[in-house]
Amino acid sequence: MTTQLSVSADPQAEASGAVSAVVASLPLSFATAAGTPDAGTPDVVAVAGHAGWAERAAEAIRSGAKGVVVSAPVAEDLAGLTATAPAAGSVVVLDQQWAGNVALVGTNVRGAIAGAINEAVLLDSVAVAPPGTDPLHLLTEHLAVILQCGIDLQDVRLIQRSGNGYTVAGVLAGGVPAALQGIITSALPSTASVSILTSAGRADVVLPDPAAAWPAEVRMVTAEGATTLPTLYESSHRTTWSRVHSHLSSGTPANDLARFMAVTSLLSQLNS
Amino acid sequence: MQCSSDYKEVIILSSEQQASRAPLGVGILGAGPVTQAIHLPSLARLRDILEVRHIMDVDLAVAESVAGRVGAHFSTSMEELLADPDVDIVAICSPHQFHAAQVIASCRAGKKAVLCEKPFAMSGEEAAGISAVSAETGVPIIVGAMHTFDPGWLAAEEAWEDLPEKVHTIRSSIVLPPNPRFEDFATEIVGRVPMPDRDSTDPEVIKAMLKGGVMGLAIHDLPLVRRFTRDFASVEVLHAEIARPFGYVISLRAGDVTIELRAAMNATWEPSWVFEAIGNDAALKIDFTPSYVHAGSATAQIRKAGQTTVLGPFGHNGYEGEWRKLAELARGTGRPPSAETLIHDLEFALAIAESAASRFDTARVDAGTASGTTADEEINA
Repeated sequence: MTTQLSVSADPQAEASGAVSAVVASLPLSFATAAGTPDAGTPDVVAVAGHAGWAERAAEAIRSGAKGVVVSAPVAEDLAGLTATAPAAGSVVVLDQQWAGNVALVGTNVRGAIAGAINEAVLLDSVAVAPPGTDPLHLLTEHLAVILQCGIDLQDVRLIQRSGNGYTVAGVLAGGVPAALQGIITSALPSTASVSILTSAGRADVVLPDPAAAWPAEVRMVTAEGATTLPTLYESSHRTTWSRVHSHLSSGTPANDLARFMAVTSLLSQLNS
Repeated sequence: MQCSSDYKEVIILSSEQQASRAPLGVGILGAGPVTQAIHLPSLARLRDILEVRHIMDVDLAVAESVAGRVGAHFSTSMEELLADPDVDIVAICSPHQFHAAQVIASCRAGKKAVLCEKPFAMSGEEAAGISAVSAETGVPIIVGAMHTFDPGWLAAEEAWEDLPEKVHTIRSSIVLPPNPRFEDFATEIVGRVPMPDRDSTDPEVIKAMLKGGVMGLAIHDLPLVRRFTRDFASVEVLHAEIARPFGYVISLRAGDVTIELRAAMNATWEPSWVFEAIGNDAALKIDFTPSYVHAGSATAQIRKAGQTTVLGPFGHNGYEGEWRKLAELARGTGRPPSAETLIHDLEFALAIAESAASRFDTARVDAGTASGTTADEEINA
């Protein structure tokens, strides 16, 4: 039987993480804390990811939360939180708009990407976000996608940055060139794409905006033809909440904070 | 008499009309794969207005074979072709280094129009010299920037309104197989020259690959890039490196416009040739068909405020568009591109090529040998 967990969200997390809608779509797994018969400390707290989120998450854990979901976290020091969470036996899961997409959670897509990386001649990745987005935050989300794809990006350098976006250069294993571009515009959907051109084909992953349950598009081209992987109509928000429930139900730890620290490490290389 | 006079006038008018309807004669300098797989099939669809009458190539066997396909004269010298009175329009499809001299000679030979494959010169001085001769002789010149003649591009140009003033980001992304795959879909090639293996760890080879990548491949889209680059003279190369076996990653900035150029020629069967110009609230995306395959025009999408306008595809590509334009110009109708446009396009490309070659990152050179690279030759006409 599914254990129902109580949830509370601060207003900003509610807005950025669409918490009410997601909780409503997982009615056996979650209920809002105010609606539960014994509305004590919520099992899971949703925290907005603007500056100071690590401390807010730690505070929620100190207040008794078993799980914390952080929506759209910005880069910041996680030293305190990475000590607090395991000591309390709590789980911290990050709700990132593209990296959290269900297509990247399983091994199917990541395995296909790994196969393409072995044959890569060029990696070209583009992230698009609407005006008003901080390019640094866009880059944070972008790098999270690259790492979630299992791509080992090395020797990263910031080529250019402006209010309209950025370009980052790096290399894959073996010196294969990689380029990441961020573009700020309202004319295009907010997507992150990763294109790995290989010696005889390509692999493309296009991750959608989680504002709706658009599916990711994953397509592989080899000498034998093209394959499109099955569509999964689930927003990254819902996938994230399913994950936190799974971790809490099974008692398995989440590696979100460790992965996010790898992102911040790449960011610090760019700024050094 | 009146009747006679009237009769005579009718005859004269009929002759003029007949002359204006007769196909114009085309002579082609250089009969390599581009001529065989691109221009001859394009001209075969335009027999009512253009007729191939003379093929020149330094390889006599190639010249004879290619001319034989279309019932044209053949020769191994430019002078012989230019002296052929049946040739009204000259197409220059020779290696880059001969372009400038052949354009000038064609103008001085009194031809009606000249098509020069890109680049039409290898320096700003050469370009200015060509421009002066064109102005002096009155012979119109078209540079074979085929995407600027593509009906998909032209339809987008009609529809994009003030987009050029709004664009802050431009992307040109090209993925193609080696040329022979597509050449063989279009024709049966004679005289194909195998590409030499090159050591792509050699810095000089890398520089040549970058320069060749810009002048042979990126150059197809650089006139389009320049259309959206208000301060094109300030273009600066921020980053340049090669992809193997052939390709490039080049980052540019011109004023407040970011320009990213990507290309990879791998062994794929699936080509992709995309040009994008993006502003805060409007964006253009054009999917071009690959060269050689005669698969119709590009398809353009203009997006703004949640609305997408799709233009094309149309039945012919930019190569056929070039030839239609040449026929117009040779008949004295239509307006050629301004000399200033051609010179600025060339200067823009040369500035990027030279700067990219001088900027490449030696730290990124690693083990590996590129085979089949075409650094200093035309890569994909």
